[in-house]
Amino acid sequence: MAFLELEHIEKDFGAAPVVSDLSLDVEEGEFVSFLGGSGCGKTTTLRMIAGFEVPARGVIRIDGQDVVNVAARHRNIGMVFQNYALFPNMTAFQNIAFGLSIASMAKADIRIRVQEMLALVHMEEFAGRYPQQLSGGQQQRVALARALAIRPKMLLLDEPLSALDARIRTRLREEIRQIQRAVGITTVYVTHDQEEALSISDRVVVMDRGRIEQVGTPKEIYDTPASRHVASFIGTLNMIEATVRDAGSGVLDVGGVAIRTAAPIRAAGGTVIHAAVRPERISPSTGAAGDNRLSGSVTETLFLGSTVRLVVHAHGRRLSVDLFNDPDLPLPQIGSAITLSFAPEACIPIYASSAYRPE
Amino acid sequence: MKNPINGRAAKPLSPFAYLGVLPFLLFALAFMLLPSGALLFGAFQDAHGRLTFANIVALFDPSILNSYAISIQVSAATAVGGVVAGFLLAHAITMGRLPKAVRSFVVTFSGVASNFAGVPLAFAFISTFGRVGMVTFILKQLFGISLYDSGFNLYSFWGLTITYIYFQIPLMVLIISPTLDGMKREWREAAENLGAGAFRYWLRVGFPILLPSLLSSLVLLFGNAFGAYATAYALTGGLINLVPILIGAQIRGNVLYNPNLGYALALGMVVVMAVALAAYVAMQRLTAGWLK
Amino acid sequence: MRQRKFWSWLWVALAFTYFLLPLVATFLFSLRGKKGVLSFLAYRRVFDDPQFLSTFGFSLEMAILTVAAGFLLMVPTTIWIELKAPKLRSLIEALSYLPFVIPPIVLVFGLIRMYSRPPFALVSTPALLVAGYIVISFPYMYRSISAGLQAIHLKILMEAAQSLGASWISAVLRIVLPNIRSALLSAALLTFAIVIGELTLAVMLAWPAFGPYMALVGRDRAYEPAALAILSFLLTWLSVAVMHAVTRGGERSDSGAGAVH
Repeated sequence: MAFLELEHIEKDFGAAPVVSDLSLDVEEGEFVSFLGGSGCGKTTTLRMIAGFEVPARGVIRIDGQDVVNVAARHRNIGMVFQNYALFPNMTAFQNIAFGLSIASMAKADIRIRVQEMLALVHMEEFAGRYPQQLSGGQQQRVALARALAIRPKMLLLDEPLSALDARIRTRLREEIRQIQRAVGITTVYVTHDQEEALSISDRVVVMDRGRIEQVGTPKEIYDTPASRHVASFIGTLNMIEATVRDAGSGVLDVGGVAIRTAAPIRAAGGTVIHAAVRPERISPSTGAAGDNRLSGSVTETLFLGSTVRLVVHAHGRRLSVDLFNDPDLPLPQIGSAITLSFAPEACIPIYASSAYRPE
Repeated sequence: MKNPINGRAAKPLSPFAYLGVLPFLLFALAFMLLPSGALLFGAFQDAHGRLTFANIVALFDPSILNSYAISIQVSAATAVGGVVAGFLLAHAITMGRLPKAVRSFVVTFSGVASNFAGVPLAFAFISTFGRVGMVTFILKQLFGISLYDSGFNLYSFWGLTITYIYFQIPLMVLIISPTLDGMKREWREAAENLGAGAFRYWLRVGFPILLPSLLSSLVLLFGNAFGAYATAYALTGGLINLVPILIGAQIRGNVLYNPNLGYALALGMVVVMAVALAAYVAMQRLTAGWLK
Repeated sequence: MRQRKFWSWLWVALAFTYFLLPLVATFLFSLRGKKGVLSFLAYRRVFDDPQFLSTFGFSLEMAILTVAAGFLLMVPTTIWIELKAPKLRSLIEALSYLPFVIPPIVLVFGLIRMYSRPPFALVSTPALLVAGYIVISFPYMYRSISAGLQAIHLKILMEAAQSLGASWISAVLRIVLPNIRSALLSAALLTFAIVIGELTLAVMLAWPAFGPYMALVGRDRAYEPAALAILSFLLTWLSVAVMHAVTRGGERSDSGAGAVH
């Protein structure tokens, strides 16, 4: 039995369905991210777990208990909001102590617990400060401490880092993950930033228009996206339009050239699908035996820091090729001819539509 | 003082800058500051222009002190009533999950009702609760209850109070609604997460955050009622001795003509209003950062 | 959450009842002009009274003058502060809100004292009345215009206009004023509503304005005052409704807060 079970959850706002037939199991201690663009239903789902929205249909079970009819304040779930939501009339200490005092804990015990929490988020010196006197990152740490102080069964985070600067975001997300591991609490994290989701989650749930597109480990999502939406949402991806030539042997036709995939293709001959290839898996050389080969010309070279991206036009398609920035290697000239190669394993067939169904 | 954008010291204000506001300054001086100043100085003069404190002392005459007392009582009562009732109404339309149309209607109506004060309002209440007013009439005819025999009197402290409240409540709604909009929904949700129900939320988070705004509204409503002349005059015809009525009588020379006493009365009123305004400003400063 | 909705509706309903009651009662009262039957006799008497029209016309005139002169004074001043002298903003703001500390009854007293004798014997000219009204409307005018200017980011707009070659004046007339139209309109309507029904200044300075007329009617007649109250209410409602329609909720909701006592 999983710790958090969502079964066929549905939610409508007026006539429009916001979440449709959503089912998911989250194990205890797991860190799961809901990833998607705005309007995909991820925040609504989170709020249903928290108890601020009631699902129109479906069951939510936490630790075996059906909670759909349990009020938010009895669910013992900690939540961290996008805009911190610290109480402005209380110091950091008092904010963290709030849940504990509601639970009528003894003052001495509260003090110990709050100090513990402050140490956990490295905010000991700021105990007496008011939220207005803290930076965004500091406020969010206090918010996290406040949520964890009451020893909740689960931790929910609603885009906690989107209001912060990029540099703080990177550091803070790692801290959040460390704290989560240290405490071992089941966590659901909502974000629209795919780098964030991929870097800290045990599993990622990609959502689009109220439905789950794919659930998997970050590597699975990245390497084997199940649908076009997932593929284009995660990282940069070359989507090569191709016609199925021989489904059984996994052969596609790209502008007259034969391309092989590693697995059989689940579409009939003659269908137009997309072959997805990550830019870093394409090599500007003839490659090994058995590799797919395309020839084209370089139209742009983009310097991205540690990577150099070549934009190549080949067989009527536009491809991005990522290379490590090697100062010794000369870059191809714009307009020069170039041969590209990539392994069949790097070639993922993406069909017109697909939706996730858990087994 | 440093310019926050480029860190350079800000340019000192050149005299040229005053040129554009000169007309306004002159006007304010001529028709607001000097007349008020003249009035306040007049409080310290006798009929021949000599400096004296006699007028101030005269303020402590029991009947005059009584006027101040009544004015303060009416203003305090309607301020408290206005704040409480206005807050509940404003809360209902901003955070009460009602349709937007309701809020829009209440706000429009509040705009009307807070401007409705004065003679028309007095007429409306006389037509309703006066000796031959509609409610008085209906209570007598349909229920056999005689409102005035039971001791109710529109032309009294309580009559004045319920009349004033008619424009105090809308004023409160208009003032406090933007503030309530600034209350983040997430505070309530965070509190709920941490186990607090509605009562605890309001007790520990909601009201503490709102307190400066509520107090400043209280002060504003107090000032609003204290300075009111038209409504009181039209309603009671000068029967009830409120300070504005007293001042009005002095201006018209209806009583023992002693304008200097009138000036002293005006001084007393301005002092009360100034204290109220100072308190209002101080409390507004307190809330500055909380409800952004 | 459902509980909250119930209480909210309850309060709104209670408030509605309290506010509607006097209006309904007054309206019914106003229909009792003729004994025993409901009629609009009281209204007819009001409209037939030549004084009604003359005093209303007088107050209307005063209101228009107040708005015009007030704008002439406040609009350039506010624009000036935003563009050339932001440091003076607190001063001008303080002066604009000072009328809250000086109620009309005190103001008129001071005006009489100061302007009764030569060389400034203005007390018998309507100019003094208009001046007094302008002072009373300071807070509302300033707040409205200033909010309007801030909403359009005046400084940036002016800089854009000037970079395209427009002169200062031309930019103000062709770009600023049209864009603060709704703020100006709402300030005008509010001032309007205040001046038309104003009593204190008008009666103390002895002018045949609408406010004193109503007070007089209230002393002598029984049902006409109720009719006047209803008419006044409808007029105020019209002004505020137009004001709200024009601003389309873009301004702060407290911009319509009242002044008349």
